[in-house]
Amino acid sequence: MFAYTIRRFLTLIPMILIMTFLIFLGMDLTPGDAVSFMASPEAMANMSQAQLAQLRESLGLNDPFFMRYLTWLGGVLHGDFGYSLTSGVPIKDIVLSRIPATLELSVAALLISTFLGTILGLVSAVRKGRPVDHILTITGMIGVSIPEFFLGLVALLLFAINLNWFPIGGRLRPEYTVYWDHMKNLILPALVLGVTMTAGVMRYTRSSMLDTINKDYIKTARSKGLPEWRINLVHGFRVALTPVVVLIGFRLPILIGGSVVIEQIFQWPGVGNEFLGAVRSQNYPLVMMIALFSVFAVLIASFIIDLLTAALDPRVQLD
Amino acid sequence: MKKFFVTVLVMIVSFSCIFAAGTKEATTEVGGGSPLSDVRVRQAIAYAIDMQAIVDSLMNGKAVTANSLSPNGGLKVANLNDYAYNPNKAKQLLKEAGWDANYTLDVVYYYGDQMTVDMMTAIQSYLANVGMKSTFRKLEGDLASQLWVPPVDPVKGPSAVTWDMAYAAIGALSMNEFYDRFLTGGGSNSHTPSDPVYDSLIKGTHVVDPEAQKAAFFEVQKYENDQLPAIPLYYQQVFVAQSTHLDRAGAGYGNEQFNYDWNIINWTVPADANGKKVLKTNGGPVQFVETPFLNPGLFMSQKVLFDHLVVADTNLAPLKGELAEDYTVSADGKTITFILRDDIYWHDGTKLTAEDVKWTYEFASKVPAVNSVFSSMLKKLEGYDAYVAGSADQISGIVIDGNVVKFKYAEADPNALLCFTQFPPLPKKYFSNVDPMQFQQASYWQNPVGSGPFKVKEIRMNNYATFVPFEKYYKGIAKLDEIQMYPSGESDPNLVKNAAAGQLDYAYTKSVEDVLALESMPNIVVTPVDIRYTRLFFVNKFPKP
Repeated sequence: MFAYTIRRFLTLIPMILIMTFLIFLGMDLTPGDAVSFMASPEAMANMSQAQLAQLRESLGLNDPFFMRYLTWLGGVLHGDFGYSLTSGVPIKDIVLSRIPATLELSVAALLISTFLGTILGLVSAVRKGRPVDHILTITGMIGVSIPEFFLGLVALLLFAINLNWFPIGGRLRPEYTVYWDHMKNLILPALVLGVTMTAGVMRYTRSSMLDTINKDYIKTARSKGLPEWRINLVHGFRVALTPVVVLIGFRLPILIGGSVVIEQIFQWPGVGNEFLGAVRSQNYPLVMMIALFSVFAVLIASFIIDLLTAALDPRVQLD
Repeated sequence: MKKFFVTVLVMIVSFSCIFAAGTKEATTEVGGGSPLSDVRVRQAIAYAIDMQAIVDSLMNGKAVTANSLSPNGGLKVANLNDYAYNPNKAKQLLKEAGWDANYTLDVVYYYGDQMTVDMMTAIQSYLANVGMKSTFRKLEGDLASQLWVPPVDPVKGPSAVTWDMAYAAIGALSMNEFYDRFLTGGGSNSHTPSDPVYDSLIKGTHVVDPEAQKAAFFEVQKYENDQLPAIPLYYQQVFVAQSTHLDRAGAGYGNEQFNYDWNIINWTVPADANGKKVLKTNGGPVQFVETPFLNPGLFMSQKVLFDHLVVADTNLAPLKGELAEDYTVSADGKTITFILRDDIYWHDGTKLTAEDVKWTYEFASKVPAVNSVFSSMLKKLEGYDAYVAGSADQISGIVIDGNVVKFKYAEADPNALLCFTQFPPLPKKYFSNVDPMQFQQASYWQNPVGSGPFKVKEIRMNNYATFVPFEKYYKGIAKLDEIQMYPSGESDPNLVKNAAAGQLDYAYTKSVEDVLALESMPNIVVTPVDIRYTRLFFVNKFPKP
């Protein structure tokens, strides 16, 4: 186990290096640079080429590609994550200020989708072929098919604008005095994000559960006269959860990277929103840092999933 | 009917583009230069496009067709040729010019909105109707290098850009901005070869006397209307959206993208449940408060934080002193003297001094991202070159004595006073270690200390910003108790939904889609305002390399 852990951590290093290099290359290949987005084309028509060159020089954008990459990498290795090209704010501060918002939304959505998805998937599987299964299957298909943005806009229109049950968007308001005040801002985006993810978890759980309850050891348990709920929940559901855990586990780091669409619709000031702005403005130090953070989260999550899989399924050995 | 016609045109061209993909681009030139160097071709293009139909249909009438770069108003000559839609005339002009029907015009644009795409499609169809082939493509990335690089030889070229026509906009602070970019050797003149007549007429507008300048603009407009160095398409308006319970105390409407006398200290809204009069608006900072040197009044935060030496009227004409209790302009326009008020303070309670004023304009001389009208004014100051070159430690043309600040110019600038209505003094003490190259990145812009009627109460970047009345404000304390701004960039994607939710008392937009939605809301009043913002085709008259 210890050797496995060390091995996995060592493999993370080249993977992170490759990923960061590819992202940096992608940014470099994208037309334009940070200066192209600092002023509108109309304003740029009034700036001389010399002024623009001066700006690029001051931001280090004239250096060759490899020098810029190595400078960035060297800074990160020394704990210097750099500064936003557009605001001059330390990137560490920007990311740290966005993470609470993203974590709130991600964890809430993940809890909603996991709870609803697994319960409904279980019900659908044990009631296979019955009306409830058909209803849940159709609902699941619709849920998978509806884009996040559409559901988000409908929810906003209905619950925030027409019924006025929830705030229109944003996270913090000037009138909020304690932490819990902003929970009412979290409910709608978390529900929308959670519900859009529920359908996938439900379908996955149903398939996995159906696969499991046809296994020999389930038939053995049934022949031993165990009650049906025990067979389903203890013997079937536990093993059926293994692939579901993988699905859920991989969703968390992706969510930590930010749900760009939901954060945009609900003006939620999370990492995804920041990432989108950084990509648009070619703010490469910020893009790199958020990307690095997401890559790291995915790799760590995959490691934790391996451990969880082993814990849930006795057949899996980590050697 | 016109709406139907344009819609059909858009559809036809969309399909024909798909089938015509791969058509080879011919390289035949007319008259040995650019095919567009012949004025008859440019006129033909103007006649070929039914802009009124486009405005009525695609823009739902929320724009005004243009017959000049100059916007409508007192500074525009009457009886210009409107180039009303006349395809037969266009065909005749093309025939006279010997237009090569195999030549494919390369037209570029850089806006990504659907209306632009639809309009480009319609214009492509109109051009096809008179026998002009064209391809339209959207530019991406470094737009300045693709659009505005002038040729090495501004007389003969060849062109340093690849396009024939570029759909763009001129959003001007001063009237001169519409035309100065066409001057020979202009830093961004990638399109118009040297024209001594046009140069002379444009330079004629660089006079201080308002009547002489007006007459000079009239002459420029007549020449422009005849020669069409660029093809004006339409005037974009700005639309002010305000809630029905906002009382602006009779303040007029001006160009909301800049600063003018809008009397915000007397604005009121009804008190909320807590008894506070809170104005809700957008334009709050996302990552930082934008400096007022490039876009001086684009964002609400800039408007309420900073006062200026002079205040402008709704037409952006200098009206009266603001931070300056008085000012005088010498007869030759080369010296402007300001006498600062005694009762002006920064939001931290310290005095706003003449030294702050002098420092601000010296510092701005070394900041790269500065509005062109502003930088042009600074360059005309005596001693500017020596200061920027580093051979002098101050600009000799800015002289202070007590609360008197004198600006002395080597050459009179007709927009000098206008600049003092827009580009505010900043507190010197907060910039002692700031590199002008990194001006926007200074920590000051995270929580600015200004001189205007409202000061920062709290800024939670990308969440909200609150401003409260400045208690030492020399014009009196504002009637509103607080201004709450939610963050937004120049175009606010959340404008409509915030307005629908009753979270908006004041904002402005140029988006037609937003305006149509806002107009349907009973709690919102929308007011169109004419501004200096012209959409046009720049026409590349240089020969291609």
